[in-house]
Amino acid sequence: MELSNKPVANPVVVLREEFDDWAVLFNPDTAEAVGTNPVGVAIWKLMDGKRSLQEIVKEIEDRFADVPDAAIDEVAAFVSRLVESGFVGYDLEGFSE
Amino acid sequence: MTGESPLTNKPDIRIMSTPRSVDVEITSRCNLRCRYCYYFDNPEVEYRDLPAEEWLKFFDELGKCKVMDVTIQGGEPFIRKDLPLLIEGIVRNKMRFSILSNGTLINEEIAGSITKTGRCDYVQVSVDGSKPETHDSCRGEGSFFRAIRGIRTLQRHGVRVTVRVTVHRHNVNDLENTARLLLEDLGLARFSTNSAGSLGTCRRNAGNVLLTTRERQTGMEILKRLSVKYDGRISATAGPLAEARLWSRMEDAYAEGSSPFPNGGRLTACGCPSNKIAVRADGVIIPCSMLPHMELGRVNHDSFEEVWQSSATLNMFRQRHKIPLTEFEFCTDCPYLPYCTGNCPGLAYSLTGQVDHPSPDACLRLYLEDGGLLPKAEDKAI
Ligand code: SF4
Ligand code: SF4
Repeated sequence: MELSNKPVANPVVVLREEFDDWAVLFNPDTAEAVGTNPVGVAIWKLMDGKRSLQEIVKEIEDRFADVPDAAIDEVAAFVSRLVESGFVGYDLEGFSE
Repeated sequence: MTGESPLTNKPDIRIMSTPRSVDVEITSRCNLRCRYCYYFDNPEVEYRDLPAEEWLKFFDELGKCKVMDVTIQGGEPFIRKDLPLLIEGIVRNKMRFSILSNGTLINEEIAGSITKTGRCDYVQVSVDGSKPETHDSCRGEGSFFRAIRGIRTLQRHGVRVTVRVTVHRHNVNDLENTARLLLEDLGLARFSTNSAGSLGTCRRNAGNVLLTTRERQTGMEILKRLSVKYDGRISATAGPLAEARLWSRMEDAYAEGSSPFPNGGRLTACGCPSNKIAVRADGVIIPCSMLPHMELGRVNHDSFEEVWQSSATLNMFRQRHKIPLTEFEFCTDCPYLPYCTGNCPGLAYSLTGQVDHPSPDACLRLYLEDGGLLPKAEDKAI
């Protein structure tokens, strides 16, 4: 996955933020649901198609204490998983019909 | 969310921020009058339908609350001509849906419109027998063929169909053929079973409809055998098959002197109020369709999220799981108490007038005292 990629959250996916710091991403088109934590929620909210993966990681590091050095890999893996299941796409920069 | 005391109106079990699922009684009308219907003939319910605009407004609120799925039930949902419009309101708000139906009013047009949404988990059709004699005995003449036609129509349109078989006195000996019809002839992946219970119209017809202890035992034996034959394709959360499974575990645990079950010895049977809620056809919010008298608020009048999180009645109901069965004279000296969950609160209320009471309907001790037997040990692995 390219760090310059700009992921964009699928607008049909619903984010349910529960009590006690957990959340569910639910795709009503496929009925798939993914559980996540506050960091995952923050990543989700940052995937607006304007920020690159690298910028997202930077913001996560700024916002959360104790982010491990391997954060970039973890964020990339999380986003990849969401891409594979159709929860996230990529903004195709320069794409024209 | 965790709360400390009932005085603060906060539950002390973990609940979701809003319900994940909502059961919506979209109409109080039905084209049938089944003899064991749990829905009709409840003096505490106002049988009146909300207009479509009210439902649509409410579905917008559910969307904002991030509810994930809606179960559309009734009455008979397909009696509403505006059902496609209402479904559209659910889909627009990023929710999925399922429909509980008697199947008799399903036509090509509505089946096609369900498929097009791409958001239908399933349509559940009630089929109570392999032939008109058994199915129609409680549901009325002509309903069997129309229900089967409804299933075939849904299947042609690629809608996932499930079936619920309600076991009663007139079909208990037709279960084998019913399973063959559903799983072999109609090719369904699975079906579920329950039994007629002492609620609504059924209370009036109880003597003619409810299983006797002997018939219950027959139902357990047949369903247990079929469950093995069809390798897990028959499920149950209530009724003879569920009882055969649970009661066998309870009896074994008692015989072996096992430690109490984690949820045993208290009124823990119902886990629904932590993740789902229901709405009556007249817009009154209730904990569950089996408890229609417990009015918690009214849609488009009270905040749905607030009702879910702060209703004193609902939060008291959520405390029910703490009540020990030792508090009830009904359970005095019962050897099964450490393994018993007290069963469905809806049936408890209907039979005893109290929600916070074990339900006599699914009481293992009563069943055994009345001469009932459980499945033989070698058949228990079901
Ligand atoms: S059981 Fe269902 S189909 Fe039968 S009368 Fe009641 S609501 Fe109608
Ligand atoms: S008397 Fe019935 S309801 Fe009470 S503990 Fe025994 S089996 Fe359960």
